[in-house]
Amino acid sequence: MSRGFDPLVKQMLDGERTIADLPPELHAEAAEALRLQSAIDRRDVSLSRGLEARVMAAVRARADSPAKRAWRWLVAPSVPRWAIGALAAASLAALLIGRSSSKQTTPPVTASQPAESAYVKFVLYAPGAHRVALAGTFNQWDAGATLLARAGDQGVWTVTVALPIGQHQYAFVVDGRRWVTDPAAPNVDDGFGRRNSIMSVTPTSGPAL
Amino acid sequence: MKRLWFALVAASLTPVVLAGQRDVSTRLAGHVPPAVVAQVQGLADTAVARGLPVDPLVNKALEGAVKGAPPDRIVAAVRTVLQQLDRASDALRPVGVTGANAIEAGAFAIAAGLDSGQVATVARSADRAHPAATALQVVATLVALGVPPGRGVGLVQATIRAGEPLGDLVSLPSRLQVAMAGGVPPAAAAEGLERAALNHLTPKAQGHGKGQGNPHRP
Repeated sequence: MSRGFDPLVKQMLDGERTIADLPPELHAEAAEALRLQSAIDRRDVSLSRGLEARVMAAVRARADSPAKRAWRWLVAPSVPRWAIGALAAASLAALLIGRSSSKQTTPPVTASQPAESAYVKFVLYAPGAHRVALAGTFNQWDAGATLLARAGDQGVWTVTVALPIGQHQYAFVVDGRRWVTDPAAPNVDDGFGRRNSIMSVTPTSGPAL
Repeated sequence: MKRLWFALVAASLTPVVLAGQRDVSTRLAGHVPPAVVAQVQGLADTAVARGLPVDPLVNKALEGAVKGAPPDRIVAAVRTVLQQLDRASDALRPVGVTGANAIEAGAFAIAAGLDSGQVATVARSADRAHPAATALQVVATLVALGVPPGRGVGLVQATIRAGEPLGDLVSLPSRLQVAMAGGVPPAAAAEGLERAALNHLTPKAQGHGKGQGNPHRP
């Protein structure tokens, strides 16, 4: 990304236009921009996964067995008498509250239980932005939970996150107020007058747009 | 040994804690207006009674709040999601597909533009190597990219029938995008991919169909 793209292509990368909106003479440049963005996307994923595996293997090697840790915790005499009484009272109260609230909400037996996740790298070209965040179904649409970092001084922002297997909807939040779709991903109506980008994360192949 | 008692009492709290996590009101409180919380809780109760997943409803409510949507619009959007889940469930149940992931994927496909019959058709095409949820996610993504629903269904069916690996199925949208970046319209790009998949059909794959490895692939 050492050269500058046409402003219209930049707007496409920013999610403000689609490739179909561009004049034909810019299609090749737009395709090249998308190709570069896709190329950025793939590389760090496998590295991160391997790194996590190595780190976790080292941590596990140093740790005591779960049974040993549990036994040490159970027999350590450090809980005062009043705490046990307070906890018992809280337990009773919570059980009573739980019984009444369970009438309103039956356990959702079909709730998703994603067993696996995969690392996904998000990239947005947003020159001039001061803050870019990622919000979506995977972080309860919290616009402050996942911030992108600048990658160099060309206006490219990136973040790599672990996403559960499944379908996700998301958008970038630029400077806390502008919702921008991912130009490298398909998008759908969000029901609120805007669009959401979509991404499927599968067990076999990581993200699939 | 006092901690042993502590652990036993704490263990009795576990079911209550889990019940709290399932409580939609708890998840929404502080994020959306109280009136919206009550209405979404009611819609969630309906979803649970019908065996539908609740997470999509909670997510839609949170999304509306963070995007600054007015309360009535948030409730309307959540209700729309519930209707899509209901339609997906109704379409998938006769095919024998009842998992939450598949229902969510079916609802997404309906939101993208498929009708109930097309959702059922895709689910019927699925097999052990190509789960219904994944196939529905793929076809919905294709349609979101501009492929006509019928063409998207045909492409997914052809890919599964050809015995292509799961990775080839889930990469269909990105392969379509590559063709589109080269100036090919979505429908034509999908037609080209479908033709390629049909060319991979072997006599064995045509006869026995699903989930077989493709001998033409390296």
